[in-house]
Parts: sequence; C-alpha cells; structure tokens
Amino acid sequence: MKLVPLSYNLRSLIVRRGPTLLTVLGIAATVATVAGVLALQQGFATLYAENGRADLAVVMRPGATSEGVSSFTREGALRIAKSTPEFAVDANGAPLASLECFLAVRRYRVDGGETNVPLRGVQPATFAIRGDELRMSEGRNFVAGTDEVIVGRSITDRINNCHVGDVLTINVTPFKVVGVFECDGPFESEIWGDFDRMLSALDRFGPNRVLGKLAEGTDVQALDARLRESRETPAAVTTERDYLTAQTEVLSAILVFLGAFLGLIMGVAAVFTATNTMLSAIASRTPEIGILLSTGFRPLSIFLSFLFEAVLLGLLGGVLGALLVLPLNGIQTGTTNFQTFTEVAFGFRITAPVLLTAIGFSLALGVIGGTLPALRAARMTPTEALRRQ
Amino acid sequence: MDLLRLVWRNLWRRKLRTFLTVGSLVVAFFLLCTLRTLVTTIQSGADAASASRLIVQSAVSLFVDLPQSYQTKIQSVPGIEGISKWQWFGGYYQEERNRFAQFAVDPAETLEIYPEMQITEGSAEAFEKQRRGALIGTGLVEKYGWKLGDTVPILPELFPHPDGPGIAWEFEVAAIYEPTARNFDPNMMMFHWDYFEDTVKAGSGEAPGVGTYILALEPGADPTAVMGRVDALFENGPQRVQTTSESEFQKQFVSMFGNVPFFVSAIGGGVLIAILLAVVNTMLMAGREQTRDIGILKALGFTDGDAVKLLALQSMLICLVGAGLGLLLAQVTEPGIAGALGSMFPGYAVTSSTYALGAVVAVGLGLFAGIAPAWRAARLDTVQALSAKD
Amino acid sequence: MSQQNGIQLRQVTKTYTRGGETLRVLDELDLAMEAGHFYALMGPSGSGKTTLLNLIGALDRPDSGEVIVAGEDLARLSRSELSDWRAGNVGFVFQGFNLIPVLSALENVMLPLALTPLSKKERRERAEFALDLVGLGDRLGHRPTQLSGGQEQRCAIARAVVTDPTVILADEPTGDLDRDSADQVLELLRRLNAELGKTILMVTHDPHAAESAQRVVRLDKGRLIGIEQREPAAASMTEGAS
Repeated sequence: MKLVPLSYNLRSLIVRRGPTLLTVLGIAATVATVAGVLALQQGFATLYAENGRADLAVVMRPGATSEGVSSFTREGALRIAKSTPEFAVDANGAPLASLECFLAVRRYRVDGGETNVPLRGVQPATFAIRGDELRMSEGRNFVAGTDEVIVGRSITDRINNCHVGDVLTINVTPFKVVGVFECDGPFESEIWGDFDRMLSALDRFGPNRVLGKLAEGTDVQALDARLRESRETPAAVTTERDYLTAQTEVLSAILVFLGAFLGLIMGVAAVFTATNTMLSAIASRTPEIGILLSTGFRPLSIFLSFLFEAVLLGLLGGVLGALLVLPLNGIQTGTTNFQTFTEVAFGFRITAPVLLTAIGFSLALGVIGGTLPALRAARMTPTEALRRQ
Repeated sequence: MDLLRLVWRNLWRRKLRTFLTVGSLVVAFFLLCTLRTLVTTIQSGADAASASRLIVQSAVSLFVDLPQSYQTKIQSVPGIEGISKWQWFGGYYQEERNRFAQFAVDPAETLEIYPEMQITEGSAEAFEKQRRGALIGTGLVEKYGWKLGDTVPILPELFPHPDGPGIAWEFEVAAIYEPTARNFDPNMMMFHWDYFEDTVKAGSGEAPGVGTYILALEPGADPTAVMGRVDALFENGPQRVQTTSESEFQKQFVSMFGNVPFFVSAIGGGVLIAILLAVVNTMLMAGREQTRDIGILKALGFTDGDAVKLLALQSMLICLVGAGLGLLLAQVTEPGIAGALGSMFPGYAVTSSTYALGAVVAVGLGLFAGIAPAWRAARLDTVQALSAKD
Repeated sequence: MSQQNGIQLRQVTKTYTRGGETLRVLDELDLAMEAGHFYALMGPSGSGKTTLLNLIGALDRPDSGEVIVAGEDLARLSRSELSDWRAGNVGFVFQGFNLIPVLSALENVMLPLALTPLSKKERRERAEFALDLVGLGDRLGHRPTQLSGGQEQRCAIARAVVTDPTVILADEPTGDLDRDSADQVLELLRRLNAELGKTILMVTHDPHAAESAQRVVRLDKGRLIGIEQREPAAASMTEGAS
C-alpha cells in the first residue's frame, strides 16, 4: 500500500499556520497544566520516599499513624532504646538508638498567616545514626543540653525568626537559632533542638518515638511482631522509608486525582479543538483528497495521513507544553500535609514519568481528536471530493 | 432582525464544530467554576464565624492540650457569659476514609453557645441526660443513614478505648441538629465530656486535656479586652494560651492551605488560556468560511458594521451558551461534589459571585474571540470577498 | 429625466497591481448609458468589463475620473454612504449566483429588505412577490443547494429586484448555466427591462446572450470600442412603460 508522503502533512500544517498554532498552543496549555500538577506530586512524593532509609527503624505506639499522635513514657522508650538487640551498636558498644519528641508548633509565615512547623527534639545518638544526612550550611550544630536550635534550610526564609542569631520562643522558653542545615528529605522543613530541653519547654514528659539503626540482616516484621507483644511497652516498628512513604499517601492521592481529573476535563476540550482544526483542514483540502484518491491512494492511506497530521499537532503541543513546565523544576513551594498537619516545603520535580505522561497524553489527544476527521476524509469518493471545488 | 437569523444559521452551518466548541466551553466553565468554588470554600470558613464567640487554644501548638484547671480561671474573667470544654476526638467510622469532626463537649453549655444548631429530632434534654448520648448533624444522617437511637461505633486514633486497641467507642444518637447558618458544618458529632473523661481515665489513669475552650461573650462585652485578659492569665505558663475570635480561629486553617489557592488559580489560568485559544480558532475558521457571505452582504448594501456584528454575535452566542451550560453543570453537580469532598471542605457551594465572574469571563471571551474575525470581515474588500471559495 | 437617471463615466482610470506589475484596466474611459435600456457589455478577457461593472455598482472606486449613477457622483460618497447607496439603487446578479447557503430562497430574497424600514410582513410579501415574478413561487423554503443552477440564478434575480433599484448589474449571469436555463434567465432580464423599466447592464462573453440587449457596449484594453444599437423588439414597449 502506498502511503501519502509525510511532507504533504508537514507542508499543510505550515500553510495553515494560524489554526495549527492555536491548536498547538491550546494542547500545550492543557498538557502544561496537567504536567505541572504531576510535577508537584512527584516533588512531594519523592521528597519522602527517596530519602527515607530502609536501615532505620521507627518505633511508635501501636495504632499511631504518625509520630505526632504516638507517645511513650520515658522509661518505656528508654527500655526499647537500650534493650533491643536488633539495633546496631557504636564503637563503644552503646546501641545506636535515640529518643525523639515531635510537635507541630504554631509559627507565623514571613508573608503572613499561621502554619504548623515540625519541632523535633533529638538526643546526640540521632546524629550518630544520621551520619552526614544533615549538613550544616550556616552556623553550627546546637550544643546538647542547651537552649539552642538549628533550622532546616527550606524554612529559613519562609517562617519568622528562623535565621542564625534569631530568638525563637517555644511556649515560654527562648531558644537561640545557632545554625541552618540542609538535608534531602522532609527534615529540611523542621526545627531541631535538644530532646530534654524541648520536653521541658513544651511542658511534656515522654518522647513520641524511638529511632534506631537496624543491625544488618534484621527482620523488621519479626521485630515489629515481637515488640507489639511486649507487656510493659507495646510498640510498632516500621522502616523509616515505609513510614515516610505512608505519610504522603493522602496528599499524593489527591494530587494524582487532581491531575487525572484535569487531564480528563481539559483533555475533552483539547480533543474537541483538535477535531475542529482537522475538520476544517479536511474541508479546505477536499479537492486535494479527490486528487489523492484518483491517483490511486487507498482510503486507508488517506486515513493514516490525516491521523498522522493530528498526532503531529498533538505531539507539537505536548513538546511545547513540556517545555513550558520545565522552568518550574526545582521551584520551592509549600502546603500542609494533612496526615501530619504540618507544613512541608517541596519543589516541583519534572521527572521522566512526568515528561513521558505529558508526551503520551498529547499523543492520545492527537489520536482521539484526529480519528473522526480522518475517517471522514477516508470515506470520501474521488468524484464527490473533486466536484466540491 | 434578519442578521440575527443569519448569525443563528451560520452557527448551524457546521453543526459538529459548533457542538464541539460549545462542548469545550461547557467543560472549561464547569472546571473554572468548580476550581473557584474550592478557593472560595477554603476561604469562606471564616465567614460563618460569630463575633460573640471566642476560642482559647494553646499558643504553642494546635496539638497541645490545655489543663482542665484553666476553666475556673477563665470563667472569672469579666465579660464571659458561658464556657465549654472542647476536645477533638479524631476518630473514624468503620473505615479510615469515613472521617468527620467529633468533639467531646459540655452539652448544655455548647447548645447555649451555638444557637446555629437547631435540634430537629430528639431533644436537648435527651442529649444532656444520656451519658453516651451524641448530637449529630443532618449531613451525617444523610451520609451514613443514622437515626435517632442508633448506636454509632467510632474507632479512635487519639484516645484508645480502655478495653484495648482496635475497640470502638460507642455513642447513641440522642439528637440531630440542622445548621441555621449557611456555612455551619452539618457533619459534626458532639458527645459528653464526662463520658469522655471517665473512659480516658479508666485507660490511662490520667484526665484528658482540653483542646479548646469556647467562650460566649456577654452582650456588649469588648472582645479585645476579654482576649487580652484571658491571655494574660497564663503569660508565664505552664501552657501559654492564645485567645482569638472565631473567625481568626478559622483563618488559621485557611492559612494552612498555604499556596493551594494560588495553585488552583494557576490551574484556572491554564484552563482559560486553552479555552480562549479553542474559541479563537473556531471563530477564525468560521470567519474564513463566511468570507463570501460577507461579500454578498456588502454588495447588497450592508455596512462594515453589519459584517462585524455578524461574526461578533456568533462568537458571543457560542461563548454565552457554552458558559451558561457549564455554570449550570456546576450548579447541578454541586451537591455531588460537596458530598464527595465531605468534611474536608465543609460548605462547598457555588457562590453568586462565582456565577457573576463566570458571566463576565464568558462575555470577555466572546468579545475577544470575535475581534480578529470581525476586524477582518470589516476590512474585507467586497470584490475579493465575492470571489472567495466556500 | 433619462439623462439624470442614466450612467455617466468621465475620464475613468483604474489600475491594479498584480505581482509587482501595474495593469491599467480602465484607461480614461468616457461612457454614457441611458436610463431604462438593456445594455450588454462585451469584450475579450481583461478588457475591463467586470471592473467597469464594479465601479458602477460602487463595489470599487476609480483611481481618477467621475462615475455618476442615478444622478449621484459615487466618488464623493464615503464607505458607509456607498453601502446605503447600493442598498437603494442597484441590484447585483453574479455568475456564481452568490446566494447565502444557510438561508432559504425566501430568506435570501428578504435579506436586502432588512436594510429598509419595511415591516416584517411587508418584507415577506415583497419577497414572495419577487419570487413569484421569477417563477419560484413554489420554492420559497428551499435552500440554494436544493435548487438547480437556473433556479438559483432566478432567485438571485429576485433578490436583485426586490428593493426596486433603478439599475441591475449582471456579471456573466448565464456563464454557469445550460442553454435552456440561460434562456429563461435572459427572458427574465428582458421582462424586467420592458415591464418594470429597469436599466440593465449585463457583462457577457456569449453573443447569443448579448442578443437580448438593446445596445451592446464593446470594450478592449480598457477603452471603449463602440456602442452598437441592435434591433430591439422591446424598444417601443420601454417607452410605453416609462
């Protein structure tokens, strides 16, 4: 079967550049909107999932879905930290486990409005466990046992009193900001200080969770099962990676749903536009179709030719749309994660799946929008098409 | 007028195209309307607030409770008529996705403080007397089919049942309220503080803290002065408090949405650009097809202005019909969407300002999309237009 | 009176630029045509026939010279005044019929009446009368695509006369028609001239069509070659009618 040369389609797209441009731009706007939402979801989800470690155990009260609602007595938590053989030990034989307290505290944004910022009290062991995950980018780390805090890089410019040298009052106790740290995970949206000083400032008694480094080869499920059965202090164990992934499920699902919803509705409008453009292209090229048919091209060739043209329209729109969202990559933003009720800062991430979805989406728009007009063109008879000069 | 007839007939000249364009407009305006309603709903929580109520909460964190001992101290502040303890229970019904607001409250005081809750079934007395009695909103009745006398099991997340993990708290529906104010959440459940406290104590041995104290002001009391006096009571701990008007209290939740309203607006912008291009495209195609018609009209003695009208009216009509149907769709789907969003976005309702904005955007779109083809039609040379192909 | 209602062209020049080349389509043309007569305008392709027709119908303006139709110097009128003038004074008949495809025969004929102060009912009656006149009284609701070529052209003629103009300008009205339909159209034009006293100017290639006219104007290269008087069967009737 002889195919209509592709140059024919390219040329007619150029000749009809007005409608071509408008359609491509319309598809681009659609693709860019959907890709933007997906980029947001990717930025949010990967922030948690990619940076959670599989060799760290998060120990919480059974039934607690996040550390904010988990709590232990100090004695119970200490018992878990000190006498869990699955935890790795440091050079001196001390277990690599740390008590942590956590509270989303009321803070004010630089640009106005209240929000909830995670405040974490940690023991020195936390830094031994984390190694170089946290990097001080400004100032120094806090000194254990003092009223000093360090602040994550991504909130220094968003939340009041978070620069080195500022004083941050927690309940009635003033804390001094002595350093700013960077970290790839969600900790970069947090304020960290000494565990005991935090508890005292907050007028609380026990930690929220125990963080432990797992010895190599630990069966986390078995550990979880054993600790749940504990008489004195029942506890649940997950890896940090699983814990963080679970924290993103709701917001991720909302964003994916929003992306799909927008894709569907805006996609309908974009398909309609593509159909209109192709119908008009075919109407104005009816005599040409007559000539093609009379020179021996089969209806299927005609169909494929016009479908190809529509797909090309879609693809151009998809590529342009992808280019439009590319500058968003890395732009930081923030919203409240409704599972933890704390504000997280994260960036748009234009990942390969985002780009592939955008291009795939645009191709689908082209195919769906082009099918009806291409069918119409293929069904013409040569005499009828030639007559309509 | 005959020109109008020509406008109408030309819209039917390419039925499929007109249908597709109107279809795009319908979905686009539906989307715009829905997105804007999300934003107005997020921001409208504060509108339902009463000026005669104050909320006392921890100044440290949304998640920190206040001691019960604060109640008598707060009550002593002049200007306060009523006070109720409130605690967020944070449970769910059967499955995690069935979440709604549950509060442990002082029943009699709460009913006095919130005249917006009109009891339609059961009675205030029944609610106050029954120890495990619960007051639920009409929204929950619709959603879960509960009725008076039903036992409702709620699985706790924050306050485990003393009998063990995974055991539900059980409440009995003693009264049903209907909100008399538009933005008042109809999806709340309230139950007795005493039952709550005793059950928690039976488990942990400790009395639960108070999430917020709700204050009703005496008529004529100065809210700012009362707020200042309450805050001053606990200036030096143990737990600092923050007393705000009800609307300020609501605004902190609005503020938590952070950039969400901005994102939603940005998405709306994308939708608007896409639909604008679609309508402009359609009108340019229509204008090109009607070139010869315009030549004929001009030869018959119609003016350039008539040619402009012919195309501008087509554009306007397409936009108005599409937008009108889109807004209608938004209105028809309003209860469905409100139900799907549930208590996360209580009070999803398309406001009249959204309809008005939709109308303005539609007219603007119609004008803008008509400009290029109308301008071209006005300037068309009659002789050349007459020789144009169909 | 005939002098006042006639058509006078004085020193009319019209040039077009096409592909960078300037064409002098009409070259200082002087021409006078009397009211109430049926003129055929003949000449080879490019002799300026259609241009002349467009100037007389105020669809186009000359580069220089005067075009006076029905006592009005068209060069002095603004674009919108020209529109009004066309609406009241000329009717056009084109080779390609130029009916509006989305309107029915009746609606097409009613269209120019939209520019008059007539009531809807009067417009309808007039249009029906005009369609009756051209023999399409039974085709009122048909769309142009549902009419034959000859019927379309007769419908176009009905549209041209419905406003009761003094001048009817026809550009190759029989060019796209078969012989029988062409004869019907020519007969119709003759009757309009004879019975209603319309001044008719018809551009044509076809000597057979030109035989219907009383006078034949010949153009070549934008200049007037001559006006020949034919033996008009209807000449006496014209005088009788006016």
